[in-house]
Amino acid sequence: MKRVSFVSLLMIAAVLVGVLAACAAPPAASGPQIKVDGVWGRPSPMMTNAGAFYMMISNSGTEADKLVSGQSPSCGTVELHESFKSDDGMMGMRPVTGGFIEIPAGGQAELKVGGLHVMCIDKKDDFKAGAKLPLTLNFEKSGAKTVDVEIRENP
Amino acid sequence: MHKRFRLSAIIVILLALAALTGCVQPYTYHGTELVSDKPAPDFTLTGADGQQVSLSDLRDKVVVLYFGYTFCPDVCPTTLTDMKQVMKLLGKKADDVQFIMVSVDPERDTPEKLNEYVTYFDPRFIGLTGTPEEVVAAATPFGVIFEKHEGTAATGYLVDHTATLSVIDKDGRMRLLFPFDADPKDIADDLQHLIK
Repeated sequence: MKRVSFVSLLMIAAVLVGVLAACAAPPAASGPQIKVDGVWGRPSPMMTNAGAFYMMISNSGTEADKLVSGQSPSCGTVELHESFKSDDGMMGMRPVTGGFIEIPAGGQAELKVGGLHVMCIDKKDDFKAGAKLPLTLNFEKSGAKTVDVEIRENP
Repeated sequence: MHKRFRLSAIIVILLALAALTGCVQPYTYHGTELVSDKPAPDFTLTGADGQQVSLSDLRDKVVVLYFGYTFCPDVCPTTLTDMKQVMKLLGKKADDVQFIMVSVDPERDTPEKLNEYVTYFDPRFIGLTGTPEEVVAAATPFGVIFEKHEGTAATGYLVDHTATLSVIDKDGRMRLLFPFDADPKDIADDLQHLIK
């Protein structure tokens, strides 16, 4: 059997070092890493002026970000609202406190029925089941992200 | 052999009796039960085409009463979609149920607008409205309160309102209350029990 040469050993070592380097954790992404999933809204008749959009916004980055506004060709105005239940049992809805929705570093913000939602006011399109409406979400640090809102009956 | 057969027969009968006892156990409602021997306070409000509708006109139906408004984009469409689901779950028995949405925003919700809104979810749904005073008088006995609140330039005013569902039986008595976001399956089960 041929003896392994010193050069071959060096080459193997170099390859191993390369493999190890690839295994090491990638450098942590600095800043927020925003992902928006499961964007949906309910069908509603054309005569209703407004509709709510729901979604899950997650942030895998090392810094918090804020959803500050939105716009859509399907809506005259887009606002960020929150439904709540008052002490006397009434349900109400208000623009979000501070005008933004915070997505903490390594965390998420769930926009859901009876809670936080994106409010589409002055609807321009028919929100019928199966429709997909474009929505642009503006984040303070991550900038604009455009998603499709799927119109369907249930979450 | 004959004796053994008799013993088996007795055991079978005993088991059947035990099963029957299980059947007659009182039904437990999912909604909050209200006990009253008096009919729910009557009201008369305006429906589609200006038609006057009284709660007492609906004595042959189990009535599900809700107070909401058409501008409400989150809580109200959720409730109406849930009630559409309840009607589907009830199948043919849904003909014995009348869902009513009374507007807590009579200034913006005309009878026509309200009718278009509720029938979008189910053509059997009724929308009722009236003067602000009439609506307050109808809502109060059901523990329903509402209050206008300033909104934004785009939304205009918003209305905070109690979002419970009140269930009135065929004798006109108030029987059950469901909170916002109650499971449609639970509502359908309870209504089915009240229908028969």
